[in-house]
Amino acid sequence: MCPAVSNNLIAKATADGRGRERKWYTMGVISRFVEQAKAKAGSVVLPEGTDERIVQAARQIKDDGIADPILLGPADEVQEAAKQAGVSLDGIRVIDPKTSDKLESYTAVYAKAREMKPTIAARMVKRALFFGGMMVAQGDADTMVAGVAHATATVIQAGALTVGYAPGIETASSFFLMVIPDFQDQRDKPFIYADCAVNIAPTPAELADIALASHASGEKLLGEPARTALLSFSTQGSASHEHIDKVTSTLAIVKQRAADLHIDGEFQADAAIIPSVGAKKVKQPGPVVGNANVLIFPDLNAGNIAYKLTQYMANAQAIGPFLQGFAKPISDLSRGASAQDVVATTAICIAMT
Amino acid sequence: MSDTAERVKKVAAETLKIDLSMVKDDSRFVEDLGAESILSVVLVAAFEEEFDIEMDEQGALGVKDVSTAVTFIEKHL
Repeated sequence: MCPAVSNNLIAKATADGRGRERKWYTMGVISRFVEQAKAKAGSVVLPEGTDERIVQAARQIKDDGIADPILLGPADEVQEAAKQAGVSLDGIRVIDPKTSDKLESYTAVYAKAREMKPTIAARMVKRALFFGGMMVAQGDADTMVAGVAHATATVIQAGALTVGYAPGIETASSFFLMVIPDFQDQRDKPFIYADCAVNIAPTPAELADIALASHASGEKLLGEPARTALLSFSTQGSASHEHIDKVTSTLAIVKQRAADLHIDGEFQADAAIIPSVGAKKVKQPGPVVGNANVLIFPDLNAGNIAYKLTQYMANAQAIGPFLQGFAKPISDLSRGASAQDVVATTAICIAMT
Repeated sequence: MSDTAERVKKVAAETLKIDLSMVKDDSRFVEDLGAESILSVVLVAAFEEEFDIEMDEQGALGVKDVSTAVTFIEKHL
């Protein structure tokens, strides 16, 4: 598995559709996550502590009380980044993985878990992403936010090999939080879209992982119970094709693994989100029909196209992508992420803890 | 066959827990040797340990088979 969409394509809500920057993490839906994060008083490890944007973000995260930020990197280099960014490091922890007193214990834990020579494990754990992942795995941080200086594939590798996957999940995937300003008379209606960035052509087992992970993400972020629809160009057998078979196989796997969750399909998009269409097209209605708020696309073509169309044609906020499927939340940033992006991503990751 | 290539094969076989005879000069780690793609970083760490070098992370991501690993490592020796 490799991430399919370069993270410089990430369409975080840094602009209002007309290209103007704004302090978006203090507005709208995001502000709710900021408040949730403040209430949780969690900690975030930022492995790219020598990047000016990360240091700026750490200052903001600390000053706004969103989380306790921990910067990784050699102290002198982090200090230099802070100087360049024009911010103080007062009250912000800085840890150099190569000299940390935790290195030995993390190495021992990692070597044992991965059945690896300690000397090789030490080389891995010294890397900031792995050290950050081990901090999260060992409970020394609540979440990790990285990616301004690392490829998505590298962040996923580090997450998979340190934090590990959530129980029953074997696939890392991603989701967007889409906020629709005016949806069927509802203002700022949030949806989860997945997978729009990582898995190109998931197998039924992988798509089931994506559905289950997205459902869990929806439960944490939507502010209402998640209702997850497996989308297709067919509604419960209205057409037949191997592409539909993939979705029905996915549903069978999901039902086998978590029969009690509100995950259903296969649905066309209109039957999934519009009650009147759902009532017309679906013979056996259920809680998901016409009321889905988590949309699972059969492949990356569909998911990526859908989120971009929604973003621009409905003037929606597309927030993400966020990684999911891990035992604890970690997130990948765009290489072009601003300090504000890092702050908002941190708030959402803490809200998901 | 260079000494580097032999050592790369030995490390790959040990890391991926496969028989050395399965590792050929042109073997691709994921497609031919069954490595999970997330294990490429483990291979890189094992190569670093074997050759006592530090490979840059982004460049190392491009190491996908035995021959590119040999080329990449020899640049660092």
